[in-house]
Amino acid sequence: MIDTIREIETPEGIALRLRAAGALPRAQAWMIDLILRVVLLCVAMVPLSLLGVAGNGLAMLFMFALMWAYPVVCEVCMAGQTLGKRALGLRVVNADGSPVAWLPSVVRNLLRVVDILPGVYAVGLVCTLVDPHARRLGDIVAGTMVIHAGELPAGQQVPEVPALPLPLVLPVDEQAALVEFAERAGQLSVHRQEELANLLEPLTGCRDGAAVRRLVAHVNWLLGRS
Amino acid sequence: MKQERFVAMHSREWDRLQAWLNALERRRGQTLRQDSALDFPREYRRLCQQLALARGRGYSHEVTERLQRIVQQGHRVLYRPPAPRWHRVAVFLLAGFPQLVRSQWRCMLAAAALFFLPALLMLVLMQWKPDLAQTVFSSEQLAGFEKMYDPANEHIGRSSGTDMQMFGYYVLNNVSIAFRSFASGLFFGVGAVYVLGANGVLIGGVAGHLTAIGYGGPFWRFVVGHSAFELGALVIAGGAGLQLGLTLLAPGRQRRGPALVAAGWIGAQLALGAFAMLLVAAFIEAYWSSIAALPDVVKFGSGGLMWVLVLGWLWRGGRGGTHGA
Repeated sequence: MIDTIREIETPEGIALRLRAAGALPRAQAWMIDLILRVVLLCVAMVPLSLLGVAGNGLAMLFMFALMWAYPVVCEVCMAGQTLGKRALGLRVVNADGSPVAWLPSVVRNLLRVVDILPGVYAVGLVCTLVDPHARRLGDIVAGTMVIHAGELPAGQQVPEVPALPLPLVLPVDEQAALVEFAERAGQLSVHRQEELANLLEPLTGCRDGAAVRRLVAHVNWLLGRS
Repeated sequence: MKQERFVAMHSREWDRLQAWLNALERRRGQTLRQDSALDFPREYRRLCQQLALARGRGYSHEVTERLQRIVQQGHRVLYRPPAPRWHRVAVFLLAGFPQLVRSQWRCMLAAAALFFLPALLMLVLMQWKPDLAQTVFSSEQLAGFEKMYDPANEHIGRSSGTDMQMFGYYVLNNVSIAFRSFASGLFFGVGAVYVLGANGVLIGGVAGHLTAIGYGGPFWRFVVGHSAFELGALVIAGGAGLQLGLTLLAPGRQRRGPALVAAGWIGAQLALGAFAMLLVAAFIEAYWSSIAALPDVVKFGSGGLMWVLVLGWLWRGGRGGTHGA
């Protein structure tokens, strides 16, 4: 299946499913960070300008910190999120799904210099489009990736109807397919639901709307509802 | 076991773990000091087993997604990077960094050659043909240099500004150059070669021109103090870039991906070390080099001492003894 999900096996022997974030939300997060930093610099300039030329030096030090240190410090201290990434629900993680550490964060933010070339992130954009996990060059060298941290949209409840036992024993994967059908039926058009349910006419013994209702009842039995 | 029964049996412990993790995100220190923190690894592993069971039994997404969410949150807590310690920073600067520089000595030597050869060449050429300055620099640039190093100046090395302002300027400017020369090395090393060569030509050209027109005194008195740290850092950052580019070209007995990741780690550490060196250089440049009143002996003596210190540190640092690192 073509998907942006990357499965990572943890030491506990289960697969973490990380959803890679594409170029668009990341660009938006970067814009938010940029605006924030410019505003911060402008605000800081007000008291610093009162200090005369020495304030100039402090302003340049502050600019240096915003340019190079801000993303690294934010990513490491705020669980992989700069403020812009937090607003967009993104997160930087190491390749094994653990929170990004100091050195990888330094690498990916230093190599931003390369990704940003020429002009507006052209190298980075091409790289995120080519890479299966939407990583830019800095991410590849640092061994990190940017993922969606937010939850999947809800609304996958199986509708509750009186349960109906299955007439025969189905293998586990076929049971899972039935459950998934019942979960996702709400997102499909009625005709598509009926078309899919009609494939199982030998099991249900009926067609169209009745077949869909019967399948959902079977699923309620599979889930152990009464 | 049917899904509903499974959920009914365990949902209370899932809720408890979820609540604990949420509390951890809000109030880190306080939550970690609670006794329940000790139970976390065991509870987390139980949850992992339950997720594996849920997946294996084909339970609905409602359950697996819920468990998966808690597992991801727990994974972040259990496998978070260790907190940074000042001791490690000190060990790195004193021992780890010089060791790393020596381990990459081929790239460092190449970077030094790429920088110092053009610089020396320009320095000599300028004595032989002073007119060359007009082709390398514009006349405004030349006027600026001459104003900065005019022997009549009370402060050398600058036309205006205070020590603090120049410190900020040197940090912003020099460190950005060093970081860029490392990062641009990813283009097969071309970027690093360009930055090193261009800076060599520029610095050699300025030095040659000022010496040729008789402003050599103030110029050398100004640069000798911080030159060891500044030029050393530039060469090391460029060498880190070369190392990255060469790994991309010839990864050796590794696939390119893992080889690049390893080279990136080395390069980042070298860049951070160069950053520390440039901070020292900027401090010396702003507060020591600009004092014009000191006698030559002090200026050149301290400059020579700096070179001995830097080279000795890079050559001997972290050698002998297995302490610390």
